[in-house]
Amino acid sequence: MATITATINVTSDILSYPIAISKTMTMKKAGTSIGLDETLGLRTKKFNSTTAAEIATLGDLTNDGAHKIYIRNASTSKANFFYVAYHNSAAAADTAETIGKLYGGDWMLMPYNGSTDINVASSTTEIQYLEYMVFADGVVEALG
Amino acid sequence: MATTIATVSITSGDLTPGSPLAVNATSTLMKTGLTTGMTMMEMGSVDIAKDYEGQLFADGPATDNGAYFIYICNKSTDATYYMEYKLHETEIGRLYAGDWMWVPYNASDADAEVEVKGKTGINTIEYAMFKSAWTLPAAEA
Repeated sequence: MATITATINVTSDILSYPIAISKTMTMKKAGTSIGLDETLGLRTKKFNSTTAAEIATLGDLTNDGAHKIYIRNASTSKANFFYVAYHNSAAAADTAETIGKLYGGDWMLMPYNGSTDINVASSTTEIQYLEYMVFADGVVEALG
Repeated sequence: MATTIATVSITSGDLTPGSPLAVNATSTLMKTGLTTGMTMMEMGSVDIAKDYEGQLFADGPATDNGAYFIYICNKSTDATYYMEYKLHETEIGRLYAGDWMWVPYNASDADAEVEVKGKTGINTIEYAMFKSAWTLPAAEA
């Protein structure tokens, strides 16, 4: 068992009083106090087309687990972005289910049940880099 | 212009012995495709009964294909409790007791509402949405 912690801090002056969200979690296996101990590795991928790519694949992880996915658009342009979708084919603006868009510098950390692919697609043919890592609550035995 | 900054730090000293994990990121939330900061947000807390499925954020007030960010934290303490994070009727993942999530949202189509479903027991969640655009529901006649 490993101990993986994730801490978020969000500050904002949108309202007339300060907003300060701060929370730390320890990633655990579903319904237990046992820490996650597998990942699919931290990866960086270069995109120079709008062709969608799988970053998590149905069948690699145990279904209905407490997996988590970290994704960051490692580029800087606020005009370009990546679509992120929970879907078994190309990600797009109106795909069911498109989760959202990550502009340059944006990041996300979300729970993932492993029951469908996670796809991403760049909005541009300009070079963009995506950084991502899957924290797994079980990887199938056949996957190296 | 308002400034909203989100940072994350993911660490582990024993996931890969001899090679500590340290992933850090910071982003400043901007309106759709722009360099001006988001100016709208809402936040709150709600209890979700076991097997109750509700809309946390309806898609109607959001601008289609816009830029939003959502924070949800499951404040439950019983490790067996969890809530499902769903878009429309599709479960994306399960947020267990003590877990938090930070995801973009773009109201991709007319059926893209953010839903939550309580499982095992009554889950208390905290939530916030940061918005690039939002239209209040029209007043009733």
